[in-house]
Amino acid sequence: MPKTRLFLSAAALALTLASGFTSSAALAQGKVLKFVSWQKDERGVGDWWGSVIKEFEATHPGVKIEWTKVERGAYADTMTTLFAGGKPPDIVHLASFEFQKFADNGWLDPLDGYIKDAKLDMKGWAGQDTCVWNKHTVCTMMLYFGNIFAYNEELLKKEGLEVPKTYAEFLAAARKLTKDLNGDGIVDQFGTGHETKGGGGQYLSEMMNYTLDAGGRWTNDAGKVTIDTPQMVEGLSRWKTVVKDSLTPRDLAAGEVRQMFADGKIALKSDGPWLWPIIQKGKAKDQIKLAMVPFNPPMGGSSNVLGIAADAPKENKKLVWDFIAIATSDKFQSSYATLGASPPPSPRADTSAASKDTPHFDLLVKATRGAAEAKVDRIPKGLELAFNEFAKMIMEESQRMIIQDLDPKIVAATMQKKAEALQKQ
Amino acid sequence: MSRSAFLDLARPSRRHWLGYLLLAPAVLLIGLIIVYPVFVSVDLSFQNVNIARLDQPRRPFTTLNYERLFASEDFWNACWVTFKLVTIVSFFCFLLGLSTALLVNNRFKGQALARLLVALPWAVPEVIAVVIFAWMFDSSFGLMNWVFIKLGLVDTTINWFSSPPASFAVVCVVMVWKGYPFVSIMMLAGLQSIPEDFYNAARVDGASAWQRLINITIPSLMPVLGVTLVLVMLWVFRDFSIIYVLTGGGPLKATQSLSIMTYEQAFGFFKMGYASAIGVITLIVCVIASRLMISRAPDNI
Repeated sequence: MPKTRLFLSAAALALTLASGFTSSAALAQGKVLKFVSWQKDERGVGDWWGSVIKEFEATHPGVKIEWTKVERGAYADTMTTLFAGGKPPDIVHLASFEFQKFADNGWLDPLDGYIKDAKLDMKGWAGQDTCVWNKHTVCTMMLYFGNIFAYNEELLKKEGLEVPKTYAEFLAAARKLTKDLNGDGIVDQFGTGHETKGGGGQYLSEMMNYTLDAGGRWTNDAGKVTIDTPQMVEGLSRWKTVVKDSLTPRDLAAGEVRQMFADGKIALKSDGPWLWPIIQKGKAKDQIKLAMVPFNPPMGGSSNVLGIAADAPKENKKLVWDFIAIATSDKFQSSYATLGASPPPSPRADTSAASKDTPHFDLLVKATRGAAEAKVDRIPKGLELAFNEFAKMIMEESQRMIIQDLDPKIVAATMQKKAEALQKQ
Repeated sequence: MSRSAFLDLARPSRRHWLGYLLLAPAVLLIGLIIVYPVFVSVDLSFQNVNIARLDQPRRPFTTLNYERLFASEDFWNACWVTFKLVTIVSFFCFLLGLSTALLVNNRFKGQALARLLVALPWAVPEVIAVVIFAWMFDSSFGLMNWVFIKLGLVDTTINWFSSPPASFAVVCVVMVWKGYPFVSIMMLAGLQSIPEDFYNAARVDGASAWQRLINITIPSLMPVLGVTLVLVMLWVFRDFSIIYVLTGGGPLKATQSLSIMTYEQAFGFFKMGYASAIGVITLIVCVIASRLMISRAPDNI
């Protein structure tokens, strides 16, 4: 009996040790990196992320990437909660207007060392300057875009209109194209379309089509607020005209406006490269053509960034950098152009295949270059940390201007004062 | 005393321990889910903190958030908007709820279907209902503008969400639509508990329908009315999704209630200390309002 007990104990010990070793080995083999993104399931760019993940997993046996989708509307809240709770994703994907808060809290690992060690040449990388926070590179820019101009050729032809090339031509065309088609007192067709409901960031982007063309900027290169300039006043007047004269449908979110345009209820639309896949699914896809925007410079800016969570374990950080290295490699920057149908930020990307596959690809590149050369960005320098508050303030004061029919000069002065106060916070 | 005797919960002197033991999990859970966050929130409201992290050292004590809050026009505007919403929505919820309850309390053909229809808005998920209403009130292609123009009530389309009074009215309509079935169900339960003898005696005395309503129905419903009023007011006070999905608090903060302001400051502007201060004030107002209503209600509530 004692012998049997001894044997059983030894067997149990051996089994325990064996299972312990097995699970340790499994743990080493089964490392999982967490990656949260709003672009999962997005046609084009979502497929590109999928290809990067596939390549990473193929070159890193035993390491898996857990890719989770969080809707854009809830993204900032979710990421804040994850970081604040000390459980951030290893691979950090953020919009370029929201990463500053995370960087300012020290939640993003500086990438300077990784970039130097990997000898990654970021020269000429579109929008990369935006990723420098407190003299450290905390992210890599994944998209910098320029707006393109989409127009419904059939609607323009019906009215005998040419494709507008200036703001004045655009305004005249938009007025002529805004119509009550069946005489029931309700406008059925709009000259143009902008989001006028929803978040401040999108509202600001819509307005900037006009303020940039008028020569206005929210801040100058030194970060000083420049809203009370004659150029900005002119830009605000243009925005007021377009919205107050109902040349755009009111109170719709950006997605709804894009769908209306794709269905032929809006004639002219300035938007980013993401408009094209929506047009392809719309009822008026055969009537819609693309051109350069009738505004100079085109609206554009940085879109989304990739970084490493400062709280991630050291061994994970190295793996995350490998992931970023794949995403920023020439091979995958070239495939970004093909799959995402957008100009990649890398100047070394081979976009010849994309130019063949996407007929308007050269136009996208031209628009992006136009915006980049004019240093256009949605995030005004000097107001990065208070961007959400700034955008909300601009939206509310613009709404006040339209609802209460205020003089744009007075509104610009109010905006200037409030923006300066935000900078001092 | 032996150890087993000490743990003997069947002993009369230890019997109440069993009660405490059985209650303990629930109390612990409530403490963890409700009481602890309240304490954290109060603590945060006295710190100048943007994005809060529990593992970070506590910032110095300050009353800056409250000073800023009481000096802020936006805060007083949010209080006013919340007060208007609570008053208007509660009033119309009661009016509609009581009317529909009186209606479906009568016996008629299709009574079961009528009761179902009255309760239906309560069963529809809030966000789905709000999205449908948002489309109905859409300024360019919505049903409401079409109906108003066809009926000749307006000459041109109303920009429902670009006009402060119109957007406030839309929020009230949706809240009343969503909230009245609860009042109706509560009132119906109350109506069915009133003895029929009261009405028969009143009829014998020659009381009219109006007199029966004023002198029998309403006084008998008072206990239910009081509790329902408190619950409806608290619901309106804290409701977030209807306003957030419909208007986001705009335009020009015309629909920005205290709950919307709290969310915006915390997750829009990442000012969690300031947002906690708004949350604490909201909690205090809710507690005082509930207490006042309960204490003024009849004793049998």
